[in-house]
Amino acid sequence: MAVQQLRKSAGARWKIERRPDVSTGRQFVAILLALGVSFVVSAVLIAVAGASVGRAAVAALHGAFGDLRAIAETLLQATPILFTGLAVTVAFRARLFSIGAEGQFFAGAMGAVWVCMLVGDRLPSAVLIPLVVVAGLVGGGIWGAIPGLLKAKYDASEIIVTVMLNFVIFFFLAFLLGDAWRDPSSFYYQTPRMPAAAQFPELIPGMRLHWGFVLALACAAMVYVFLWKTAWGYEIRAVGINAEAARYKGISIPKVTVVAMAVSGAIAGLAGASEVPGLHQRLVLDLSSGFGFTGIIIAMLGRLHPLGVVPAAILFGASVTGISAMQIAVNVPVAINQAIQGVILIFLLMADVLVRYRVRRTNPRV
Amino acid sequence: MSSLWEAAFITSLLAGMLRMATPILFAALGELIAERAGILNLGVEGMMLTGALTGFLVAHATGSLWLGTVSALATGGLLGLFMAFMAAQLKVDQILVGLALNLLAVGGTTYAYRLAFKDVGAKNPSTIATFETLNIPLLSKIPFIGEVLFSQHLLTYIALVLVPATYFLLYRTKYGLELRGIGDNPRAVDMRGINNIRRQVLAVTFGGMMAGLGGAFLTLAATGLFVPEVSAGRGWIAIAVVIFGNWRPQWILIGALLFGLVESIQLSLQAVGVKVAHEFLLGLPYLLTIVALVFNRSRSQSPLALGIPYHRESR
Amino acid sequence: MAANAPSSRPHQEILLKVENITKRYPLVLANDNISFEIRRGEICSLLGENGAGKSTLAEILCGACRPDSGTISFGGKPTAFASPRDAIAAGVGMVHQHFTLVPTLSAVENIFIGTKSTGILLDLKPTTRRLEELCAAYEVELDLHAKVSQLSVDKQQWVEILKALFGGIQLLILDEPTAALTPQESRKLYANLQKMRSEGLSIICITHKLEEVIDASDRVIVLRNGKLVDAIETAATNKEALARMMVGRDVMFRVDNKRKEPGEALLEVDDLTAYNDRGHAALRGVSFTVRRGEVLAVAGVSGNGQKELFDVLVGVRQAAGGRIALDRKDITNRPTTFSRGHGIGSIPADRIHQGLVMDFRVDENLILGRHWDSRFTRWSFLSQGKIAAFAETMIRDYEIVPPSASQAVRALSGGNLQKVIIARELSQEPKCLLVNQPTRGLDVGATEYAHRRLLQERDRGAGILLISEDLAEILSLATRIAVIFRGQIVGMMDGGEASIDEIGLLMAGIHRGAPRRLQ
Repeated sequence: MAVQQLRKSAGARWKIERRPDVSTGRQFVAILLALGVSFVVSAVLIAVAGASVGRAAVAALHGAFGDLRAIAETLLQATPILFTGLAVTVAFRARLFSIGAEGQFFAGAMGAVWVCMLVGDRLPSAVLIPLVVVAGLVGGGIWGAIPGLLKAKYDASEIIVTVMLNFVIFFFLAFLLGDAWRDPSSFYYQTPRMPAAAQFPELIPGMRLHWGFVLALACAAMVYVFLWKTAWGYEIRAVGINAEAARYKGISIPKVTVVAMAVSGAIAGLAGASEVPGLHQRLVLDLSSGFGFTGIIIAMLGRLHPLGVVPAAILFGASVTGISAMQIAVNVPVAINQAIQGVILIFLLMADVLVRYRVRRTNPRV
Repeated sequence: MSSLWEAAFITSLLAGMLRMATPILFAALGELIAERAGILNLGVEGMMLTGALTGFLVAHATGSLWLGTVSALATGGLLGLFMAFMAAQLKVDQILVGLALNLLAVGGTTYAYRLAFKDVGAKNPSTIATFETLNIPLLSKIPFIGEVLFSQHLLTYIALVLVPATYFLLYRTKYGLELRGIGDNPRAVDMRGINNIRRQVLAVTFGGMMAGLGGAFLTLAATGLFVPEVSAGRGWIAIAVVIFGNWRPQWILIGALLFGLVESIQLSLQAVGVKVAHEFLLGLPYLLTIVALVFNRSRSQSPLALGIPYHRESR
Repeated sequence: MAANAPSSRPHQEILLKVENITKRYPLVLANDNISFEIRRGEICSLLGENGAGKSTLAEILCGACRPDSGTISFGGKPTAFASPRDAIAAGVGMVHQHFTLVPTLSAVENIFIGTKSTGILLDLKPTTRRLEELCAAYEVELDLHAKVSQLSVDKQQWVEILKALFGGIQLLILDEPTAALTPQESRKLYANLQKMRSEGLSIICITHKLEEVIDASDRVIVLRNGKLVDAIETAATNKEALARMMVGRDVMFRVDNKRKEPGEALLEVDDLTAYNDRGHAALRGVSFTVRRGEVLAVAGVSGNGQKELFDVLVGVRQAAGGRIALDRKDITNRPTTFSRGHGIGSIPADRIHQGLVMDFRVDENLILGRHWDSRFTRWSFLSQGKIAAFAETMIRDYEIVPPSASQAVRALSGGNLQKVIIARELSQEPKCLLVNQPTRGLDVGATEYAHRRLLQERDRGAGILLISEDLAEILSLATRIAVIFRGQIVGMMDGGEASIDEIGLLMAGIHRGAPRRLQ
């Protein structure tokens, strides 16, 4: 028994206690720890696939940052998940665990495409592109407001509703792509090509990187201002930490719920509205490779703060380009990317716990 | 003539209902036990998916469906154990851990599947021979009821038996009482000298095993093949069914049957060639879940401490 | 009710010996090298103000927490309670201040959990029988099969006590046992405790109420700031000496309270009805008037509608019927922001969960509720400079320590948390102040500060509604006292003339004749 051991040992005892607060430095350590362990796990997964870890690593690094083209590709891949990461940040800050960024992404893309189908061939870029952006915001905003309203009015779990809505809009899109929106000249289920006027201009000549990336950066800045410098953001953060106290001081929880979900949805919708005109020029069912879900991990890695979300998004963009380069070099399934993302999140959560506690010596008084 | 057709149609509809309800029923009953112990396990979808893959891989490799089933139970249980450890011991935010497990499972199962079947094209997925249905002698010959109720897979019978079994566990045993106590006031039970953590770990591990079993049913009994994300949100529907069923086994059965019915209708209508958009039918179960949540709120009898980590020392 | 004379007790052996117990938390040294003894067959009070370390010590003794160092011997043998199971096995039973009962289960089920029984099946009959015996022995009437949530507070406490006694124990620890009882119920409890003592049980009563210590205990152990000050026979001391030991300086027992004549009616509540969170009627027709320049105190045992009354007046709960008027203007069921904008301030009962956003900074908490004021926000953007200046002023005027506006509020002590809330509310110079349990959990210094500020507001002409379960506080501050019982005001009296006995009877729902109504 511990107390008896105490009497026997003349010296001190170790105990684990909770820290009163966790500094930013320590949180950073937690992130590095998580990433470090995840890299080790990736190496194991690569080895299991029968590939040489060394060759894989070199190929990956080169594919992500090796030259200007690689960097441009990395930033391109980072763009949609930067948007969704910011979207999740806004929702999570209100303690609304929205899993709906995936569906809202499609809603925004559908809004953009719909606008183009209506008026695309008649308007110049200067008008059409802002219109497309607005359509994305509105589409995603509506798809985000729906779970917000259901939660506000009926206390329906936003977690389940957003997951369900992801499926619903996916099937709706599949329906449209097979029917009203289908490109008659194509064999595949996709929309016709977008008008050239809607295309986002490229950022670096000759590269696929487009202005959507700059839009995403601007979005990050706006999210920061929104959450920390406006009364709206103040209410969102207050509700997210202590809804009860917020209520006692007159903050309307239903209002905050709908606003946070709508803003979150709008940002995710913007991701879709920039991905179509920026990159693919068409709407297809596999437009998203899980951008909505990756956004959750990025938001958590970035500690729900734009300053963290931006580098996290770039890191994940690098992992996409790196791994596809690796796949060409050493034939490992691309799905390893998703697996690693899950691993990173788990280890991040565990590192969070580790960092929250410290070990101390206690000196028994004589 | 037409009446025969209608009877046959309804019979196969209802038989399909029981079949489609099985995975959801397994996962929901498992989740019920976990939530009654106070742990909100959102990783059900991932556990189901992992069970589906493991069962399929093992059955494909060994040729034994039962071995596949057992390994699905084991992997589901392992994931449940992990979830329980994070939630009950480390007291990490349960919602985040559940989400993380889901993401890990989706990525992990897709990766493992692609790795295992690298040389197989997407148009030609590997299949296995599924479980046969177990026709109960004599009873399965009864017209109508015989086909619906007594010609199902063994796993379906097990799932149905699990309903009164969980009821018995929760309300007629010592452990059930303790479990319900932990879910409503963990401090009260802790102060009686009972090891909360151990009981929560057991409960969530059981939940994971059930989810894995539900997933195994999908690949080993219902379809005989695995596609990435084969569970298609059924784990989430199971969680909704627990809410919809007000944390009572009998109502959870009703909820699972309801969703099974919708899925069965969708399949039957497609088979008959009814002119309704294919995608609308596919999306129906998910819309229905949302509607169920909306109409559910006031009578909620959720465990009082659900999702809230318990710290013995409050500081 | 005098304490039993020491000579009537037989010579006792030592049951519990505690040596050099130390427990440190990240922000505070809760127990500092504490040593004492408890003998068989005695009632010992553990006295100290809030924050002195009494509850931590009790948690160590019942196994809920481990000391950093020190030893415990129980019944002559050295023991270490690694968990509640060890303490229960040794024969220690604890009645917690906040009941550890599962509300959805019955008394029998609650007590059955944790008892040794064979087999998997649930058999409640042996437990039921034993409980019936215990209830008969202590003359307690209790519905053993009703859900605990449906029992009244004093009955719930009996379930908690029976739970502690059930396995047969040698040491019973009660943490603030009379917090939720009327004075009469408290006396009945102590009578039963003395009965238990005469059967050989040792009892530790944790309390901060001096009257109880003097009246009912054989010995008293005084803690202050985590250290043991003294352990003496009660007969050898008095209230003043104990208070001085408890606080470290002389304490005034009545705040200097020059009452002025109250002004005209400010807040009129007429036949108010409302429901609690479970859908049952909590307020059944409450009527009273708060006048300018007075403190109207609402006394009552917790759970008789105080929470719902506060919630309705603040605006977070719907009034099902009745009327609330401020300065003759109807404000029934107007949103919280409306009330605030019209000069009603509120200090909620739970500082941490209802009053403050703990992860926010001090300045952010100071503008909570006023964050849309044009003074702090223009075109939806927060004016950081103005907010910072405001915060500096508040910190200075209300003596908030540490004096940093950008400090996370989480690091502040209980008294300073309350100061932040007080600063936030009082700086708006409200006409009417709604206050709920303002000094719960605060030490004497912080309590005196809060009382001082409240009386200042009263003297400024504000009308204050003070809801409190602390009779000493009520007697100290009130101009008039109303008593609430089962959602109705059952008595109203003048603050200066009130007697504890009379208030106690009303709190228990016992009226002597028709209630006098002083409006």
